[in-house]
Amino acid sequence: MVGKEISRRTFFKVAAGAAAASGLSPQVRRIALEPFVRPPEEELPGRATWFASTCRQCPAGCGIIVRVINGRARKIEGNPNHPLNRGKLCARGQSGLQVLYNPDRLHNAVRQSGGRGSRIFSPIPWDEALNELSATLQSLRDPQALAVLAGQPSDHLYTILASFLEGVGAPPAVIFDLHSALDGRADYASMSSRWFGERQLPIYDLAHAQVVFSFGANLLETWMSPVAQSAAYGQMRQGSLGGRGVFVQFEPRLSATGASADEWIPIPPGSEGIIALALGRIIVEENLGRAGKHNGHAHLYRNVSVADAAQASGFSVEELRRLAHLFAEADRPLAIPGGQLTGHTNSAQAMDAVMALNVIMRRLGRSGGVFMPQPVPAERFTSPAPTSNLDEVLDLVERMRSGDVEIFMFHGANPIYELPAWVGFKEALEEVPLVISFNPFVDETAVQADLILPDHTYLEGWGYQVVSPSIDRPVVSGQQPVTQPLHDTRSTVDILLSLANRLGGTVARDLPWNDEVGFLEESSAQLHDNSISIYDARTPAGFWSLWRQHGGWWSKREIKREPEAVGMPKEAMTVPAATFQGDEATYPFHLMPYSSLTLSDGRGANQPWLQETPDPMTTARWNTWIEINPESARSLAVRDNDMVNVTSAFGSLQAAVVVYPGIRPDTVAIPIGQGHSDYGRFAAMRGANVMDLLTPSPEDQNGKFTFGATRVRIEKIGQMKPLARLEDLDGEGRESIR
Amino acid sequence: MAKAVRASAEQKLEENNRRWGMVIDLDRCTGCQACVVACHAENNVPVVGEHEATRGHSMHWIRIERYWEGEYPNVKARFMPVLCQHCGEAPCEPVCPVFATYHTPEGLNAQVYNRCIGTRFCGAACPYKVRAFNWFRPDFPEPLDQQLNPDVSVRQRGIIEKCSFCVQRIRRVELDAAASGREVEDGEVQPACVQSCPPSALIFGDLNDPESEASQFSRSRRAFRLLDFLGTDPAVVYLKGGETNV
Repeated sequence: MVGKEISRRTFFKVAAGAAAASGLSPQVRRIALEPFVRPPEEELPGRATWFASTCRQCPAGCGIIVRVINGRARKIEGNPNHPLNRGKLCARGQSGLQVLYNPDRLHNAVRQSGGRGSRIFSPIPWDEALNELSATLQSLRDPQALAVLAGQPSDHLYTILASFLEGVGAPPAVIFDLHSALDGRADYASMSSRWFGERQLPIYDLAHAQVVFSFGANLLETWMSPVAQSAAYGQMRQGSLGGRGVFVQFEPRLSATGASADEWIPIPPGSEGIIALALGRIIVEENLGRAGKHNGHAHLYRNVSVADAAQASGFSVEELRRLAHLFAEADRPLAIPGGQLTGHTNSAQAMDAVMALNVIMRRLGRSGGVFMPQPVPAERFTSPAPTSNLDEVLDLVERMRSGDVEIFMFHGANPIYELPAWVGFKEALEEVPLVISFNPFVDETAVQADLILPDHTYLEGWGYQVVSPSIDRPVVSGQQPVTQPLHDTRSTVDILLSLANRLGGTVARDLPWNDEVGFLEESSAQLHDNSISIYDARTPAGFWSLWRQHGGWWSKREIKREPEAVGMPKEAMTVPAATFQGDEATYPFHLMPYSSLTLSDGRGANQPWLQETPDPMTTARWNTWIEINPESARSLAVRDNDMVNVTSAFGSLQAAVVVYPGIRPDTVAIPIGQGHSDYGRFAAMRGANVMDLLTPSPEDQNGKFTFGATRVRIEKIGQMKPLARLEDLDGEGRESIR
Repeated sequence: MAKAVRASAEQKLEENNRRWGMVIDLDRCTGCQACVVACHAENNVPVVGEHEATRGHSMHWIRIERYWEGEYPNVKARFMPVLCQHCGEAPCEPVCPVFATYHTPEGLNAQVYNRCIGTRFCGAACPYKVRAFNWFRPDFPEPLDQQLNPDVSVRQRGIIEKCSFCVQRIRRVELDAAASGREVEDGEVQPACVQSCPPSALIFGDLNDPESEASQFSRSRRAFRLLDFLGTDPAVVYLKGGETNV
């Protein structure tokens, strides 16, 4: 055979024959051939693989599937089986790839070697960072000197973080971010516990409602769970129920949500509760609706004068009566208190007044009404991350300022950008000897940190999120890596687990898991063999793999609970007039900061897709603008694109004017999200941060986040800044597409 | 023996007798821009930045137009998603000197990037202003280039691009169906915008199939077509907002 070419097949035949003939081997061994480069097992070149995970661009927890080709994530879509978003996804969710592939991500752990604010970073090995961290933690004289702020932590991170802090004896983490604050999540939890005796967020069955009254809820944009709410909205409009639902929006500025409403009621800022009370009074007094008698509710409205409410809100009594009739005479009316009203001084009473409309119309637990979520039937998933009130943040700032905090760590939040300037977070941070960021980006707060230990972005990381507000059934959204980490980043949960291990003692006993995945596997096993599970497996390991395949866990059938109005007020309800900061003569306009549809609370600003996507109402992009009613613009002698100074009693900023027909003449609105000084090339040095304008909460408000209570004045500068709007303006209000 | 003549791909498409079309329910549309970002992501549409966007050079293949009606306080804003209407009598097609823009047998108004020489005649002829010209070489700073969809070519400077109804998705579904020996089902093809739309305002399908959902909706009494009087015969049908079918 020498000199002849031997094919691979022939070689094996001969070799096997030789082995058999020689009798040396009892059987032919099977040995896998190892190629030089081994592709991932599931990969076929050019063939897409889809992985199910969870979107983390906002706290809603939509299910996603990610198209992966040759190991790289290429497209994010909604998970069609996920009960929350049913395959749909919003603009921010679509843009998640630009978090993963962002050119301004940190590539490894760094120390700010040039001192805080220098933006000079030098890489440090992970071992060194962890050694330093555990040494510092061990040398802490008092564990109370460790403080943690987390924004929108996924529930698995929150669980680990809470036990870690408890184990080392540190105070609980403050959970605060601007997006959740604008949603009014903390206020919502308080409202739920007042009315229904539990802190879960109520669920609104928008899809089956016939008349929806939304009091400042921008439910088609950023509020709570916008994809699920948009899907329900579509069904409410043109669903199979027959008959088209009516949608009425009460808000001072016509939002994109308001634009989709049948009626926009331009109420004065902070008067939501007063109007809701007046509507309730009319319903009870005239005994409207077919839901039964209102005798039991009369006491709630004893002190309400419809005439006073009409005067306070600027609407006629007839108009209020018309709205009350519209609401009460519908078969399935629904009233929703939104995020905007939580920014006023009277928010608690206003939310109660709106929720009372649902109660007196007996909308609790009815189709098209209000429900409470069924808890996930496993202990691990019953204590989702709470949202702190601003007063807890102010406490933290006070502790930092007085030197009581020696280590400050933050994750998922960017407090220097997100908190109003009056809080003084940046100044307080200077008093802290060691500041550590876990954010994957160099944002405004990370610039003031000593160490940055970047977490993976959500498409590279593990986790789970109990969906809240929930949908028609209990849902846990599962998060798993869809691709290998792009850079040398490390999961914050893994860091905490390894710190616990190094520290030993209680905290090591409380956090016994080797790594994040071990914890998640054990958590998922708590739902194994549950009778309502959408899937089942014989073993916990099989269950865990189904968990990852499906992108989490949910019930196979609808389970909704009827809330019980255990906390129905015994006394007459009152809503005090909202108070505002700054006197009317000096500061003639109410300032309304609003969450940007694309950038939300500013965390979308580093994603060019979101920057280039037009705001639906103004079609403006890439910058900050101020919306002014045409009549007010005339009296200020400003036109589109004129730069103005906007001044409050606390601060000032500059923005370009958008003459906006859908806003009250006494109100101006500025979107949140721009005005970053850092946070990467797409975000930095662009527009202004409206948080710089907000005035401190009034003394009697106990540290409430009154983001709607600032008054401003406006002065023309005499410069122009053409905004990058999609539409062209001819100067006479005529629009055309460029 | 005479060799059997295999039908060309073009002939097969003709036999299918499809006309791809889209129905947009304005009563469901909330102007949320999910379709806009989904389209950028699926079709590698470049981002031009603030300066060029200010000059009107942004390249969205689909946009949400917003129209004000009335004056404060009785003011209304209406949204209207506008994308290439894939006209049956497309004004952009006869003006192209190099046949870069042409009509496929299944009703798509296609743009052949390799033929385009950048005269921009088509952009000038299009009454819907949905054609975007690449004034610059698209820039995807690393590693943002890894977001690119490998099924869609990145266009170079100097050519026109526009909505393709996600032709790569249509082809993928057709190939998958052919491989498993079945017909393409109604609703199986979903362009990226349709796939993402949270309130399900967009419906895609074969307008020549009377049973398809899109075709049924296109016969609704709410139906109208954009600038229909121009005689362009658009394949995009809008459903007027504010009332029901029932």
